[in-house]
Amino acid sequence: MIEISHLRKEYGDAVPLKDVSTVINDGEVIAIIGPSGTGKSTLLRCLNLLEKPTSGSIKVDGVEITDRNCDISKLRMKMGMVFQSFNLFGHMTVIENLMYAPCKLLHKSRQEAYDRGMQLLRAVGLSGKALNYPDQLSGGQKQRIAIARTLAMDPDIILFDEPTSALDPTMVGEVEAVIKELSKGDKTLLIVTHEMRFARQVSSRIFYMDEGGIYEDGTPEQIFENPQKENTRRFIKKLKVLEFELTGVNNDYVGMFSDITRFCMKNQISPVLKNKIISVIEELCFTIILPKLRNIDMKISIEVSEPGDEAVIKMSYPDAFDPATTDDDISLKIVKARTESIKYTRQNDRSIVKVVVNYE
Amino acid sequence: MTRINVRSVKTLKRFIAITIAVMIITAMLSSCRKNPVVSSIEELNSDQYSIGVGIGEAGEAKVKKYLPNAKVVEFADTFSGYMAVAQGKLDAYAFDRIQMELAIDQGQEGIKLLDGTVGEDTEIAVGISPKTKVPDLKDKLNAFIAESRDSGLLDQMYTDWLINNKDQLPDIEKPTDPDFKLVVGTTGIVPPYSYYKGTELCGYDIELALRFAKYINADLEFKVFDYSSIITAAETGEVDCIMANLNKTPERMQEIDFSDCLCLMQTGVVVRDEDPEAAGSSSFADKFVKTFITEDRYVLFLQGIEVTLLMTVLAIIFGTVLGFVLYLWYRKGGRLADAVTSFFSWLIGGMPIVVLLMILYYVVFGDSTIDGMWVAVIAFTLIFGSGMFDMLKSGVNAVDKGQTEASYSLGLNDRQTFFGIILPQAARHFMPSYKAAIVALIKATAVVGYISVQDLTKVSDIVRSRTFEALFPLITVAIVYFILAAILTAIVSLITANVEPRKRSVKKILKGVRRDDRDITPS
Repeated sequence: MIEISHLRKEYGDAVPLKDVSTVINDGEVIAIIGPSGTGKSTLLRCLNLLEKPTSGSIKVDGVEITDRNCDISKLRMKMGMVFQSFNLFGHMTVIENLMYAPCKLLHKSRQEAYDRGMQLLRAVGLSGKALNYPDQLSGGQKQRIAIARTLAMDPDIILFDEPTSALDPTMVGEVEAVIKELSKGDKTLLIVTHEMRFARQVSSRIFYMDEGGIYEDGTPEQIFENPQKENTRRFIKKLKVLEFELTGVNNDYVGMFSDITRFCMKNQISPVLKNKIISVIEELCFTIILPKLRNIDMKISIEVSEPGDEAVIKMSYPDAFDPATTDDDISLKIVKARTESIKYTRQNDRSIVKVVVNYE
Repeated sequence: MTRINVRSVKTLKRFIAITIAVMIITAMLSSCRKNPVVSSIEELNSDQYSIGVGIGEAGEAKVKKYLPNAKVVEFADTFSGYMAVAQGKLDAYAFDRIQMELAIDQGQEGIKLLDGTVGEDTEIAVGISPKTKVPDLKDKLNAFIAESRDSGLLDQMYTDWLINNKDQLPDIEKPTDPDFKLVVGTTGIVPPYSYYKGTELCGYDIELALRFAKYINADLEFKVFDYSSIITAAETGEVDCIMANLNKTPERMQEIDFSDCLCLMQTGVVVRDEDPEAAGSSSFADKFVKTFITEDRYVLFLQGIEVTLLMTVLAIIFGTVLGFVLYLWYRKGGRLADAVTSFFSWLIGGMPIVVLLMILYYVVFGDSTIDGMWVAVIAFTLIFGSGMFDMLKSGVNAVDKGQTEASYSLGLNDRQTFFGIILPQAARHFMPSYKAAIVALIKATAVVGYISVQDLTKVSDIVRSRTFEALFPLITVAIVYFILAAILTAIVSLITANVEPRKRSVKKILKGVRRDDRDITPS
């Protein structure tokens, strides 16, 4: 069991992990997903102390590992790690890569280490490469051997740090197959990955990491089907989002439109859809809603899904005003002509208008 | 368009290169232009002539005084001066007239002696170190000189060695129960005063030293320096006195003390002999016999090789260990280790080898009786150690950081990681530079003659001073250096091939393992 509480890691000004607390039970297979730079790898590296946590506590089977007197070597022996860049020992043959640590640390005889090594190589389908050197192997083969090397120490926990990110797409499958096979056993696995499909298939639990911590923690079904939090939903649906906040009188409306144009170009949204978005915001927001507000306090978000053929524009404001009840018929007609649907709801004392705009 | 440009740039480059080459060659040719040979000493007093002199020797002062218009070029050994004159690089060389007569008589080709002398006679005396530990050395020397003059011994020695070209030391028994130890500095390359006959020193000054040692009942030791460093050796107390046909000059008297006069010396001048009677007549066999066989000179060469090899091998071993220890300390981290090691490698790496050698010999170990050979070993150990440290540093840096992380993540500790994973891979990066460093080291040892160590290069100087044969010993020595470097690097390659991971046999890789071959297809 791994108990993490209030873990924090800083590098100078950057704080990849602000405050992480969770409990990981034995045998759980956890996929860690999230945007780049949200501390996924840092979390793994803190667990086996390749990075020293700035503060907080990590207990592995009840032993506080950030303690000065903790035997790091012993901890690492039961917590293996598989790296993005494989890191096989270049001066050793494949079988020696598997034999070195067990001989040194588990005091196995060379024969025992060899036999176990060959067994593991067979399990990953590479026993024929036992006497090859790492640079004679493909990326996928290297990673399978790196996994076998980790298994040779028979760890209880294995950390996978983006195990398929450095592979070319044809080799991703073979490595994922090995990890999937492993996930059926009783080892605790923590897998940082960008392969969403794989994360969903292999894991029993998912950490979505964002904003310096575990932003959402749930089963694969929950995270992928029904994410509870906004950032998770956007990440899973691969949404691109642009947000504005209009308050008081000094708002840069011109700048806002050039931001929208830039956002659309960056996300390869067609000019047709872009023009629709802009005219909906002009008519609905500026012409219909804004004049009705007592105080200008409006949030606008534009979400575009992956293929870039649909945009969702959301506006929220405190006044209870449904734009459908406007007396500006012309503007309303223009908006309706350009939109798929307009929905008005009221939540937490705020009105929310959700507009779907289509490429068609 | 671009193609034309490229071509014209190339043409331009070629044109510039050719122009520069032509300029250099013209400059070389013009500088090689030989002046006509003069027929009298007075003619040399013109700024178109350059005259060579021995460093600090009386001839230098005399030439400057009596031939003030000529350019003066200093030489550390006389033989190089003769060569320069014979080849026309120098118009004349001024030195001890008797010594030059002897050199021409014994086969020095391409030079001839002009009539007359430069300036007045100069006293030759014994130089005395101000730091000598022999009590009242000067009084004892003067008493000995006075007695010897009265008994006719000095005149006898002068006649024997300088006029009759005696080539045999008298039997002088060594004191059995010496009162002192007397270290005499001499040159070993200036017949008939001090030269090597076979492997033994011989000559006027050597007989003088032997007789004086017996006179004061002292145990005698010789140290060999050339003129560029012998005064420093006396100044710092490396030798008690100098017996090397040393001229008493005002400059030298500021640094060291002198005994009473032994004899008088006249400065003569040699110039190029344009019509040598038997120029270049000696055959290869003659040269070979002269250089190696006569007086068993090959023994001297063998001794030189032994010294060079011993210094190099010891410096490689100690230097490798030193570099390693320094690196392990540096690796542990800490500001002190970092500061000390980088200062060390900056200091040693940035200093000319000769300077380091001289500082160690005359300053650091100036007061101790440690042998020059060991000072050289220490100096080269420092040099090789600093190189080894830098090689290790860059070699280890070249190993991917992921290797360390992978090793740590398996549970291996720092020591196991460094020696088992990092070092074997770093070795592959620094091995080529290690071999290059060995070759550089063996060549660098050629400067130890400065601190009285007789290595291969010094031996070739000694032999050249006797045979008056310029190129043959030089080329031989060059070839020997090549062979020694090749042997040493071959040995290192042999040792490292044994530990090169890729070259191990399957049997070695799977030592102590009963193989389970069913999956492995033989490759």
